[in-house]
Amino acid sequence: MATTFDATQLPVEAERKPSRAAGFLNSFLLRRLLKALFTAFVVITLTFFLIRLLPSNPIELFIQELMVQYSMPYHQARDQAAALFAIDLEKPLILQYFDYLGGLVRGDLGTSILSPGTPVTSFIKRFLPWTVFSVGLALMISFTSGVILGLLMAYRRESLLDHILTVLASVLSAIPNYILGILLIIWLGVRWGVVPVAQMRGSLSPGVQPGFTLAFFQDALFHAALPIAAYVLTTVGSWMLTMKSSTISVLEEDYVTVARAKGLKESRITTAYVGRNAALPLFTLLAISIGFVVGGSVLIETIFQYQGIGYVLLQAVNRRDYVVMQGVFLIITLSVIFANFFADMLYSWLDPRIKFGAAE
Amino acid sequence: MNLVKQTLASLGTTLRIMSYNKVGFAGFLMVIFIVLMSFVGPYFIPLDTVTKVDKIFQSPSAEHWFGTDHQGRDIFSQIIHGGKDVIVVAVIAGVLSTLIAVTFGTLSGFAGGRTDAFIMAITDVMLTIPQLPLLLILASLMKFENVTSLGVLLGLLNWPSLLRAVRSQALSLKERDFIEAARSLDLGTTHIVFREIVPNMMTYIIISLALAMTGAIYAQVALVLFGLVPFSGSNWGVMLSLAWVRGAIFFKDSVWYIMMPIAAIVLLQLSVVTTTRSLELVFNPRLRSGE
Amino acid sequence: MSQADDAFVHHESIFEKPPLSLRNVHIMYKSRKGAVNAVRGVDLDLRAGESLSLIGESGSGKTTLGLGIVRLLVKTAKVTQGEIIYRRDGLEMDVGQLDAQQLREFRWRECSMVFQSALNSFNPVLRIWNQMYDTAKAHGWSDRRAVREHVLNLLRFVQLDAERVIDAYPHELSGGMRQRVLIAMSLLLDPQVLILDEPTTALDILTQRTIIDLLRRLKDEQRLTMLFISHDLAIAAELADRIATMYAGKIVEIGSADDIFYRPRHPYTLGLIRAVPKVIGEFEDLVSILGSPPDLVDLPSGCKFHPRCPFATERCRREEPDLEQVGQDHAAACWHWQAVEEEVADHPLHQSLPAQTIVYSGE
Repeated sequence: MATTFDATQLPVEAERKPSRAAGFLNSFLLRRLLKALFTAFVVITLTFFLIRLLPSNPIELFIQELMVQYSMPYHQARDQAAALFAIDLEKPLILQYFDYLGGLVRGDLGTSILSPGTPVTSFIKRFLPWTVFSVGLALMISFTSGVILGLLMAYRRESLLDHILTVLASVLSAIPNYILGILLIIWLGVRWGVVPVAQMRGSLSPGVQPGFTLAFFQDALFHAALPIAAYVLTTVGSWMLTMKSSTISVLEEDYVTVARAKGLKESRITTAYVGRNAALPLFTLLAISIGFVVGGSVLIETIFQYQGIGYVLLQAVNRRDYVVMQGVFLIITLSVIFANFFADMLYSWLDPRIKFGAAE
Repeated sequence: MNLVKQTLASLGTTLRIMSYNKVGFAGFLMVIFIVLMSFVGPYFIPLDTVTKVDKIFQSPSAEHWFGTDHQGRDIFSQIIHGGKDVIVVAVIAGVLSTLIAVTFGTLSGFAGGRTDAFIMAITDVMLTIPQLPLLLILASLMKFENVTSLGVLLGLLNWPSLLRAVRSQALSLKERDFIEAARSLDLGTTHIVFREIVPNMMTYIIISLALAMTGAIYAQVALVLFGLVPFSGSNWGVMLSLAWVRGAIFFKDSVWYIMMPIAAIVLLQLSVVTTTRSLELVFNPRLRSGE
Repeated sequence: MSQADDAFVHHESIFEKPPLSLRNVHIMYKSRKGAVNAVRGVDLDLRAGESLSLIGESGSGKTTLGLGIVRLLVKTAKVTQGEIIYRRDGLEMDVGQLDAQQLREFRWRECSMVFQSALNSFNPVLRIWNQMYDTAKAHGWSDRRAVREHVLNLLRFVQLDAERVIDAYPHELSGGMRQRVLIAMSLLLDPQVLILDEPTTALDILTQRTIIDLLRRLKDEQRLTMLFISHDLAIAAELADRIATMYAGKIVEIGSADDIFYRPRHPYTLGLIRAVPKVIGEFEDLVSILGSPPDLVDLPSGCKFHPRCPFATERCRREEPDLEQVGQDHAAACWHWQAVEEEVADHPLHQSLPAQTIVYSGE
């Protein structure tokens, strides 16, 4: 069929396409994985030196406390501190650092000061799952409903619905999450008495056994409902507004006009052409949001007495249990790093352009 | 001199465009109102510190506009006196983190190469560490008796996301003609960053400042509320904390005590945020045409 | 197709009637300055198997008209008057009267479109295959294997490495390749009418050439009915059987390609041709049209071209001329078409067709 020579006819891509190995080395995900590992390393190091090198570092504070409270001699207080922090204070700093890293690898984060004999890891095992559950579910609900509502607002631009939702979104995102939590307790719980706040404390009702039972899931949801409501209500507004403006710009894209010209069903255009493309930029904001919500869990869990890892952290801070503080802070940060990497994976799966670093 | 003139001129234009968005402009006026009430108000309305056992937890009346607290003291006077600290911390933190974000963000975007990679690596790590837990731990290790040190700490932690935004803004400005011209005249990086790029980002910097301030309000009230900074005296965060601890939520008449500082904090946050929406019009002409 | 079929009305003796007829079409859109009269009463027949080129400066309303035919105008724009009649197999319907479902089925199945910006015509997150299959499925053709076979054939027809391109993402293809894929996609449902809006404008000169060759083959081999919208006379010259010149929302001259190039009867057409350099020519022969296109919100009185027209008289300022026959199958809307005829006779136009346009005033 083709007789004329055509310079652009056959793709030169074949030559330009990197080999599989080179492609992986250059790939977005690998770079993100390296970044996550680097960040984790920096955070681990930072946590160690924060504890050891600050002028009023917790070990010194703790030694002084022991000396004052129990009138211990310095060396005895020092030995006890060393034992609890799982650090040999006699060694040079750099060797202490390697011991600390070694401990981490073995899963040893030290032992609680205030509940002697309880390793920090046992706190993490007990409390972290509840935070992962409530924060994770809240992020998913908030992101999904923000995307759907933002899309709706962009399609019904300048309508009454759009104006109402815009005001609502702006007001909600201006309220600090812990204040919204307090408001929920005051009005829903105490003044109107619609929600049994007192019974919702804790992460499970007494007597309910964890397992794959309906009763367990219902109870877990019952206890997590208020924290989740607080996270969702305070974050959904910014997703809505971002999605709205992103959708408005995607609606002007040529490929949307072409999709209409092709006679595609409006439902298909809205989901696969407009929605998916408009939601992509939101994934890059997911990292910031994850950190913010996880950080906020410290306050929210305390307000609702929800027994997750954030609750444990604030308890440890208030009671100056430095070993628990250090370990829990590290775990919270590592969870955020992992969640960010997960968000990146999702993003690269949804946007083929970034796989080989084109859009980076 | 030229810089001052340029800044004033862009400020005038900014105000005019801001008034296009009525909600945003109302927010802006509200910010000014709250600031005036908090800084000028205390000279006219004395702080009520006298315990009055017969007036505990009263709802609003002509005598006590916002009601009374658990010791029968006037809440209105506490609200008037309690804003100053909150605003001062917010401004110190906001200015500091904006300064860091703008300086290093433009440097990073403009210099590129290794400088950029280095600054961005630090920023990414900082961005990943959840701010509030870090803040709690630092607050437990250090003592913040005064407003300034708290503001400085918040400012030192709150810049990473702003820096990223400023950097991408600088990257797009970098390609513009007038920057090319300055570069071909060999005017030097410092000159280009502070004389060419920063003035052209004025409106954007103001938005960054507003966002940094809301972040600082969020964090400082949290620290005070959870008893991690031993502030005393009248401060909206302290009021909220006291009302919470004293069980103000349980009675119909006492609920005013906790709602008033909440209303003050939320109103301040909301007006700063809506002001940003108005400022965005200045920054993004595309939104302007949508009006 | 069932519902769109219902929209057809049986009509006696309309064989050989044109597939597409525009009757007194007006399109207006709202702007801040006021109502913009983008298209002001266009009558046009697109004959079966012909390729008609619509030329004019930007702002002449040609693209608006093209989008109006498939009702893809932006929300602020509206067809205020007139009919768009579409005919197939002796049945006819008014595109303006179709409901949402019928319109959806009419688009691409009956009348497909190739857009100006092929670079942005594809959804960046879907593979070419998915975008093709989406289109087929939307029109009730969901036999994956048959669709795939057909798509591969079409991609081969547009001279692409079909097996590779079909599973590629748009960003993996060059601009020229994307334009070919778009042309292949426009043929997917075997439509009767194809509208091409500036199909080569966004491409570099070499790629333009290959796309023009491809379109030429399409015209010669497929006998598709095509409407080319272009500001580029060179393309019109190569691809069109007939040419219509648009100015300020109206067709001011229409005729065969030969008539338009060698015997123009409207001063605006003459100006457009004189603004094109000849293959062998002197620079002083080049004359650009003075002035700029009219303000569509506040149009001049009488003939809309009179402020820029060297032939303009008092009458032109008062009355707007309608199209009148100036030759066999050749019409122009000018009070002074005879004067233009004399002018052309005195200073004959080029003997060879223009090779390539230069930028002329207003473009």
